[in-house]
Amino acid sequence: MNVPFQVRLPSVFLTDDRTLQESGWFGCARTVSGWPEPAIVGLLLGLVMAVGWVDYLTGVELSVSLLYLIPITFGTRVAGRSTGNMLALASAGVWLVADLLARHTYGHWFSPVWNALTLAISFLVVVALLASLREANQGLEQTVARRTKALQAENAQRRQAEEELRHALSDVRTAHVELQRTQFELVEAAKMESVGRLAAGVAHEVKNPLMTLSLGADYFLNRGSENQDQAQLVQDMKEAVHGARNVINVLLDYARPRPLQRTSEDIHNLIENSLTLVRHQLNKQHVTVAREFDMALPLLWLDRTRIEQVFVNLFTNAMQAMPPGGTLTVRTLASIPLGGDSNAPAGVMVEVDDTGHGIMPENTGKLFEPFFTTKPPGQGTGLGLAIVHRVMEIHGGSIRLSNRKEGGARATLQFNTEPKEKL
Amino acid sequence: MSPKRILVVDDEPGITRSLKLNLESTAGYEVRTENDSARAIDAARDFHPHLILLDVLMPRLDGCDVSARIHADPELKDTPIVFLTALANNEDTGGHAVVAGSTVYLAKPVDTDELIKCIEQTLLTTVQPRRHAFSLHL
Repeated sequence: MNVPFQVRLPSVFLTDDRTLQESGWFGCARTVSGWPEPAIVGLLLGLVMAVGWVDYLTGVELSVSLLYLIPITFGTRVAGRSTGNMLALASAGVWLVADLLARHTYGHWFSPVWNALTLAISFLVVVALLASLREANQGLEQTVARRTKALQAENAQRRQAEEELRHALSDVRTAHVELQRTQFELVEAAKMESVGRLAAGVAHEVKNPLMTLSLGADYFLNRGSENQDQAQLVQDMKEAVHGARNVINVLLDYARPRPLQRTSEDIHNLIENSLTLVRHQLNKQHVTVAREFDMALPLLWLDRTRIEQVFVNLFTNAMQAMPPGGTLTVRTLASIPLGGDSNAPAGVMVEVDDTGHGIMPENTGKLFEPFFTTKPPGQGTGLGLAIVHRVMEIHGGSIRLSNRKEGGARATLQFNTEPKEKL
Repeated sequence: MSPKRILVVDDEPGITRSLKLNLESTAGYEVRTENDSARAIDAARDFHPHLILLDVLMPRLDGCDVSARIHADPELKDTPIVFLTALANNEDTGGHAVVAGSTVYLAKPVDTDELIKCIEQTLLTTVQPRRHAFSLHL
């Protein structure tokens, strides 16, 4: 690393409080403070006596008096104010005794007594200072400990509140999505109910005349006709009736306000069933089927019949888009729902590819419109993709149509996995 | 063997007329038609049909009412009924007849061939059940 001004601190500054405390004086104090108090006091009194002995031996040497500060400071530090006071007085006493015993150096007997008093007062002042320092230190430590504890409790509380808030937010979000879906379904249901009623009415009124026409045509067909043109006309009538009947049935199916009958389904079973339904046509049109399945996909909560209808419609479209034959590829894969919410469970994506002529640019906006078709007259009702779109919509999924780079079209179905409790 | 008698009840004269012509000429049935559903029971008592083709939506008495009266009549209660309905579509009926209990539904508009096939099957299963018990292919 290239740091222009890097200051290296001596290692002693970098150690934390604990290491500092455990070294030297502090370490010693810590060790001793673990002892019982009488033992400490005994040791320090011994020390005082030892200094007194040296004092006696050296006579009037003032510097020796300072040695008394060692047990006094140590005692105050380790055992507190009262022990410190006791040691201070003991030190002054020992000093006095030592000095009196070595009195031959002094003139007057009062001189050592005066000195002892002065020393006692000095020692007591030292003890008072050290003890205040010690007590202040202890108070500070207690305050820090108390504050730390309070802060920790506060933090824990805040974290819990945050967690609860996050849960609540997630609940609200789920409820919102659910509400939106319900609202959509309600609006759709109401809309489709009136459309359905209209369609059923129209269907009924149209189907009776169609039946008359169909039976009339049947009658003439069965009687046979010498005239080729007449026979052809009757046949055309018959086919026209069939065409009209198909349109009405698909329209009824599109408009019928039937609620979804959802069950938990493996999408691959539905795809296979739908492929079976169109197998005959696939063979006839020389279309080969390629499967690229991701078998580890979750189960989906959907209306089996209606989704099979979606696949059959898409397969039929794909088939009709490649008249000389081609390849129909069905691919399943896991996906993240279009909402982009990374917390939401992954959905399932199904791609249906054909090798046909693709989608004309001018038609892209109209593909899902009812009755829009690019097929020759009589070959398509124009409702197939409209139904696919609607079924995907009421399932909370989506469909996208696009052209593939390699040529041909691709239908991409997006299924969202429902919350687990519904499965 | 005398031809099977079929009673057709539908309020559309165009439908009853063409049904009569088709069923008589194609399958050789003896067909009587009735456009007034209220008179259907009398017609049935008089005609003793092997099977009744019944429209569902009709003014005065609808198909269900007529069917209930036929089932309540001791003389007619075993007569099989095929409903012709404009309300169902291919998906409901699977493109063919739907059997609900002893009642068969066909979605309008129906082809003559399909209708005859349905009538034959219904007659086979309900009129002479014992004689054909071992040769049923439904």
